[in-house]
Amino acid sequence: MTDGRSVVPDAESVDDLLDGVADDGLAGYNYAYLDEHTKREVRRATLKAIALPGHQVPFASREMPLARGWGTGGIQTSLSLLGPEDAFKVIDQGSDESVNAANIRRLASRTADVETTTDATDASVIQTRHRIPEEVLDDDQILVLQVPITDPLRRVDGSDDANRRRHAHKNYSKMWVALYENVVEYGEIKLSSRYPVLVDDRYLMDPSPIPRWDVPKLDDADNLCLFAAGREARIYAVPPHTEVEPLAFKDRQFQVERFPDQACANCGSEDTFLTEVETDDGDRRYACNDTSFCEKRRANPDLSKAHHRDGNDHAWGPATDPSVPDGPTENSEGGERE
Amino acid sequence: MDPVHDTRACFRALVDAMSQPGTVATSPTEPADHAVLATLVDHEVTCSTPDETIRTALENEGRLAEADPAQASIVHAPDPATCPVGDLTTGSLKEPSDGATVVYRVEDLTQEPETGQTETTLVLSGPGVPGQRRLGIDGFAPADAQALAGAQSSYPQGVDAVLTTEQAIAAIPRSVELEVA
Repeated sequence: MTDGRSVVPDAESVDDLLDGVADDGLAGYNYAYLDEHTKREVRRATLKAIALPGHQVPFASREMPLARGWGTGGIQTSLSLLGPEDAFKVIDQGSDESVNAANIRRLASRTADVETTTDATDASVIQTRHRIPEEVLDDDQILVLQVPITDPLRRVDGSDDANRRRHAHKNYSKMWVALYENVVEYGEIKLSSRYPVLVDDRYLMDPSPIPRWDVPKLDDADNLCLFAAGREARIYAVPPHTEVEPLAFKDRQFQVERFPDQACANCGSEDTFLTEVETDDGDRRYACNDTSFCEKRRANPDLSKAHHRDGNDHAWGPATDPSVPDGPTENSEGGERE
Repeated sequence: MDPVHDTRACFRALVDAMSQPGTVATSPTEPADHAVLATLVDHEVTCSTPDETIRTALENEGRLAEADPAQASIVHAPDPATCPVGDLTTGSLKEPSDGATVVYRVEDLTQEPETGQTETTLVLSGPGVPGQRRLGIDGFAPADAQALAGAQSSYPQGVDAVLTTEQAIAAIPRSVELEVA
């Protein structure tokens, strides 16, 4: 390992040695950081995941320049997709500006020479943690979701082996019982995120910790969704136009979050996912979680979520105050809870 | 073929083809079946190919782990009629992703063909397909398509197919319903 170094024979300190080290920046790194061997591994797993919607495909997850659990699976997947003609967007909890998002974006733009953008409609590949953009995605866009926990059944059984057997036989009774117990205890299904969904009527899937608000966006979407977990070394996928159904009962239906009588304090939106913020003087206000769309709405309050899709105004996602689902819920107090 | 950028472009074509079955993507280099093998094969998986050119190229890079078609993870079928698709590995119920990928070489691929325009017309529905798509194939007999449908019939176990011409790539993942029209 003498590349780029000149020998300093009479060095007396570390600083002397460092003077002799030529700073080549990223020279010596492969395009898009990963070596081709790693990319082939990720790519093979990605293709198998697309062919088996909702099934968790194992892959050889590599060490990345950040800790596992910080988006390493998403980064490996994104970097094996990205090319110089792509526009890359990274979202962390709805924000483009968090440290994690900014660093992932910088890694991609430095090593893969991609354009980066904060505009969801401009991006060809979007890596995201815990949110799906409010703006409707198109069939030429790929959404890469970072996943901390891949198996929805782990809520009900810690054994990975037993859970894989359950997936093999589509035996999801234990999850149904857990949801029933949830209803008995709270009057409705109280899962704030990682809501279990059935993909293509075959595999139970953890949609990653997106809010329930984003779950309906997975159903019959135009875009491809890839889910990648670096720590657990699994990749799974939902292809476009695939049926994704949240688990629920006939008399206790799936519900998204409700924000009664609230609108975003910044842009006035009433049909976006809002986060509650406590201000310095103790007030509570609501603001859009998807900051890049919030900025667009501030410039143009009437902008639709499908504004960029000519003539195809199939908007996704619910209204801010969606009605409580129909069904025999007379005895439920769930409608009042949040 | 550029080992970095052409394989990446080929992978993106495969992603498009696999996630939207019935559509036809374009390979960055010709012939497309060689591009697909160069993108996916290395010594981590087993491969079966009768093609001397691609075998030598992979062997020279130390990327070829050969196996019989019945055991291989990636099976190259330059002549679809002689490919024993029914004997290929289909994975287990617990790990169906161990099922093989078969890379067929066909003569021509046509999106939404007229009736009778192509030798074989497949009607596809299921994940990735809004409603139905029709895919016309020349150089792939209806009997070959039936054999493939048979190999994909025990979902989630099964094989995934990539169809290639000189330039074009299409895919039939095992998740789609396949009918020979």
